[in-house]
Amino acid sequence: MRLPRIFRTTPFRLTLLFLAMFAAAAAAFLAYAYLATAGEVTRRADDEIRREMNSLEAIYRRGGVSSLNQALIERAVGERPFLYLLLDTRGERITGSIEESPIGDIEAPGENWTTFQVTDTDMDGGEVKRPARGMQERLTGGETLFVGADVGESEGFVTGIVRALWGAGALVILLGLAGGVLVSRNVSRHMAGLNDTIAAVRAGDLKARARVRGARDEYDELAEGLNEMLDRLERSMGGLRHAGDAIAHDLRSPLTRLRARMESALIEVEAGKGDPKQALIQALDDADNVLTTFNAVLAIARLQAAGSAPDQTLFDPGQLAADMAELYEPLCEEKGIDFKAELIPQLTVKAARPILAQALANVIDNAIKYTPPGGAVMMRVRRRSSGEIEFSITDNGPGVPLEDRARVVQRFVRLENSRSEPGSGLGLSLVAAVAEAHGGRLELDEGPGVYDGFGPGLRVALVLPRVE
Amino acid sequence: MRILIIEDDIEAAEAMSRGLSEASYDCVHAADGAAGLAEAQKGGFDVLIVDRMMPKMNGVEVVSTLRREGDATPVLFLSALGEVGDRVDGLKAGADDYLVKPYAFPELIARVEALSRRRETGAVATTLKVGDLEMNLIARTVHRGSTEIDLQPREFQLLEFMMRHAGQSVTRTMLLEKVWEYHFDPQTNVIDVHISRLRSKIDKGFDRQMLQTVRGAGYRLDP
Repeated sequence: MRLPRIFRTTPFRLTLLFLAMFAAAAAAFLAYAYLATAGEVTRRADDEIRREMNSLEAIYRRGGVSSLNQALIERAVGERPFLYLLLDTRGERITGSIEESPIGDIEAPGENWTTFQVTDTDMDGGEVKRPARGMQERLTGGETLFVGADVGESEGFVTGIVRALWGAGALVILLGLAGGVLVSRNVSRHMAGLNDTIAAVRAGDLKARARVRGARDEYDELAEGLNEMLDRLERSMGGLRHAGDAIAHDLRSPLTRLRARMESALIEVEAGKGDPKQALIQALDDADNVLTTFNAVLAIARLQAAGSAPDQTLFDPGQLAADMAELYEPLCEEKGIDFKAELIPQLTVKAARPILAQALANVIDNAIKYTPPGGAVMMRVRRRSSGEIEFSITDNGPGVPLEDRARVVQRFVRLENSRSEPGSGLGLSLVAAVAEAHGGRLELDEGPGVYDGFGPGLRVALVLPRVE
Repeated sequence: MRILIIEDDIEAAEAMSRGLSEASYDCVHAADGAAGLAEAQKGGFDVLIVDRMMPKMNGVEVVSTLRREGDATPVLFLSALGEVGDRVDGLKAGADDYLVKPYAFPELIARVEALSRRRETGAVATTLKVGDLEMNLIARTVHRGSTEIDLQPREFQLLEFMMRHAGQSVTRTMLLEKVWEYHFDPQTNVIDVHISRLRSKIDKGFDRQMLQTVRGAGYRLDP
């Protein structure tokens, strides 16, 4: 049998656990209270009985059996709540309010105590048995005196307390259960919202989001966390889809070209004319272009999927820049471009060196590609006042118009005038992905401006976060 | 020269075999990791070409098993995984070189050649000599005949690599990897410019050109 949902929730189970713990504590308390109260009631009754016995013994010592007999008769008439029985030396009843002693043995030495029951008539004339305590003593003259007391009322008091405690316990448990149901319904309601969102996402709706009620409690926190996760997931799914579209778009034309070239080469060879070698060389070239594009897309996708660049180490960014400068300086010289590097020494940056090197290579490569002979490329490494490390490469080529700057960082975007240059259009997007994978960013600005037929140029800055 | 190709893609292995045979290598092919390991354990190979992802036993396991057994045959790792981490894993397992698929054939031949020759020059030399070109690795000086040639540190490293692989084709990617220690495709002809600088220093004014361009492959230093 399955329990209703509400009873299977964690809050309800917790409530039950607390209730069980409470019940155990209450039972212990009850037992203690009972034992303490009941003991106290008996002790008090016993004290009173002993005092009565003492006072009767004093009367006996002064006036003998007849005085005691007199006193007992008086006391039975005056509404004293004691029970008496006086027996002569042979154990025959002389006087008393009860017929026979609850302690039969008159030979027993010293004082003897007992708990017994007295039969009484209640207001309707029916018989009721009530608990009583009593003691019996042998008097100096050989007579036996029994003094008892009805403790029914005191016992009733204790029973009342116990009953009240039981009642209170039951009430607490009932209230507790009700509270548990309420709390678990409340929690279930919040969880149901989250679960609905998860179910919707699982069913394929990546746009589903959990409702944040603004209560700033842990449910809101959970909902916000879930939403953030979904945002990220959606973004990367979107990125993947976009990359897929972009790959399809950008690979289709070279693949089509490749196919056409091979087809025409095949036709020519079959016809026995023409040299297929040239076609094959071009086909290889096309295949290489496809692979280059593919690799770049893959590299970007991996960086974005990883979230942060793997295997980051601390190193001197100036050193890396100097290495890159050393690699590219001869290329600039050959193209007639003035290359300068201004590197602040002994800075520290935390990054995946090989990936960062590749990003810088892309930026320098771009700068050299778009700077005409006679122009200049400048590489700088410095620390900003914010503590961030900035690698910047400035050229005085044609630059990128302000309205296009955000666009060129996107995948596969190539400006019209750059179509003649080789490249996949992935260079800057890879750089941006590298920057993001390090918690940094890519900034594009205007270069040094227009002069001598050069410019306005482009300044590309890769900014990495400060090292704590 | 005998080469063991451990590669589960039969067609790729056949193409590789054909190409290497044309370059006068003897090829043996094993189609999965376990068979490849068994074949390699028989010994007698100059170079092992091991694909990374294979059924039964992957390339990393094959190579690390061989290395544990004390087999030092040079290994060229082939993989479709080109990330830095993958590369490091392969090299850690004991591979000597790493080539990312797909590769250009001259690249494969050049790397196999470099690996197969590496064995023969085991001793630690203090000077390298190729034709009339002499390099002192201690004093870090270079002479061609009686002319001293002044080189920048990187040019010295570049020439050292070329001299250690004299007579072999070395590709641009190999140079970028081994001399500059970068593992990316530079896309432009950065390496060509460095080579042409080096060439102008060691060949200019001499009758014989030592630093040759190998069409479709890279460069070669001839004695």
